[in-house]
Amino acid sequence: MTTHNVDSKGTACPGPITDLIRAYRKASNGDIIILQATDPGVVPDSKAWCGMTKNELVSTEENNGEYVVTIKVTAKK
Amino acid sequence: MIKIAMIGGGAGGLITTSKLSSELSEEIKQGKVSITIFDRRETQEFQPGYLETAFRGTKPEKLKKPVDNLISKGVKIVHADCTSLDLDNHQILTERNQERYDFDYVIVSTGCSPDYSQIPGLKEANMDFYTDADVSSRIYSTLQTIKSGRIVVGIAGLPYKCPPSPNEAAFMADEYLRRHDLRQNVDITFITPYTRIYTAEPINEVIEPLYSERNIESRTVFNTDYVDPTKKEIISLEGDTVKYDYLFLTPPHKPAEFLRGTDFADDEGWVKVDKRDLHITDHDYAFAIGDTTNIPTSKAGVEAHLEGLVVANNLVMSVTGEGTKHFFTGRTQCSMETGFHRATFVVGTYDKPVKKIRPSVTNYAEKKVMEKIYWASLEGHYEWLFKYHFKRDYFAENPS
Ligand SMILES: Cc1cc2nc3c(=O)[nH]c(=O)nc-3n(C[C@H](O)[C@H](O)[C@H](O)COP(=O)(O)OP(=O)(O)OC[C@H]3O[C@@H](n4cnc5c(N)ncnc54)[C@H](O)[C@@H]3O)c2cc1C
Repeated sequence: MTTHNVDSKGTACPGPITDLIRAYRKASNGDIIILQATDPGVVPDSKAWCGMTKNELVSTEENNGEYVVTIKVTAKK
Repeated sequence: MIKIAMIGGGAGGLITTSKLSSELSEEIKQGKVSITIFDRRETQEFQPGYLETAFRGTKPEKLKKPVDNLISKGVKIVHADCTSLDLDNHQILTERNQERYDFDYVIVSTGCSPDYSQIPGLKEANMDFYTDADVSSRIYSTLQTIKSGRIVVGIAGLPYKCPPSPNEAAFMADEYLRRHDLRQNVDITFITPYTRIYTAEPINEVIEPLYSERNIESRTVFNTDYVDPTKKEIISLEGDTVKYDYLFLTPPHKPAEFLRGTDFADDEGWVKVDKRDLHITDHDYAFAIGDTTNIPTSKAGVEAHLEGLVVANNLVMSVTGEGTKHFFTGRTQCSMETGFHRATFVVGTYDKPVKKIRPSVTNYAEKKVMEKIYWASLEGHYEWLFKYHFKRDYFAENPS
């Protein structure tokens, strides 16, 4: 199992979801992706993405305008 | 003599050197400053026109201009690609005769290009409108033979240049088929790894209804893993399948080879720069602009243009000791054709999110004006128009 730290702070358009998708391509099932962002859209976007791809949203945290979204990769064939 | 090296003579490279050469013309005449572009290409192409070539049959020749006609007075060109950039020792190594050039300042604007190696099977199956004008024209030749079946367009991988271009391909393919009375026999499917048809919500709100209206099917969160050209199937990382008869997908893009493995680029070779003043991390005499950077904004010509002006201004300031420092605002402005002479724009900055702009004939006309003035703008003309158009987003006087 590998942890992929993705720093998307300061990204708004095309947004942290771009970095998440790029990290997902390199990850394997069981890996953890930790996505850090300042764009508040990262939380609903990651939730929607996890729901639609069937990957697991482990947690979301907010601290002084910085968001940390943790995702476990589970949906790859 | 102060030597300024520009690696890459595309959109960003030409705009930046034209501004530098006009502002430093006296210093160049006096032999105090030299500006040299390094780029193997003998012709440049109007890249946004690739879509017109692919879906409307514009001849590739119409998109090309000899580089020597575009170089500003006082700027030299070495027609050779850079094979290595040693920032610590201020040296560029070129392919031809493995020559070495030294510099005081360097700007990297080497763009990006399709990377088919990331997606097995894609190269054999696909035709794209990113590689060059001639390759784009193959799509039009194929379109003319289509009588029925399924065209698949969309995003095969990230990142890529000009975020709206895959959506434009869907709308322009639809327009072509309707105009030729073939739409009832040909399906169009748009695939994307994003959760929406266009990733920025305000633009998605505008185009999603158009997809339904035009009967363009969409498959969101489709992460292309590989393509099976024999079965004519695209297979996702999650094991889903989309069938195609004709494939015009947007491949993931890569930066120039010589950047990979350097300490100033990330692990894929995108150059790490300060997103406001574009200096390469830890090197205040080195800069990168345009598609090759890792900054969090779209890979588009408008960015290359505005970033280039910021870098040129700040370099002139370093050389002459006069003026004030400028910063890039993150301004993006990509046109998105929605077919039948209408277009919207994806407009935003680092601080202002993308706005909802409805497709209109006026926007389409604005896009056409930009096309008309493109080559002249690379030579530094019409800057008053850009300044007027971008207003406070043209540059910032403060870093935030
Ligand atoms: C289909 C399509 C539609 C587009 N639509 C729009 C739009 O509507 N609006 C918009 O703003 N932008 C648009 N763009 C994007 C725009 O064309 C690019 O973002 C812009 O050209 C980037 O400028 P650049 O200087 O970074 O790279 P480029 O213009 O690509 O120039 C890079 C140059 O570097 C050279 N080079 C590469 N490697 C080396 C090396 N090792 N040594 C020396 N030289 C090297 C290349 O030969 C090239 O000349 C579109 C692009 C495409 C493909």
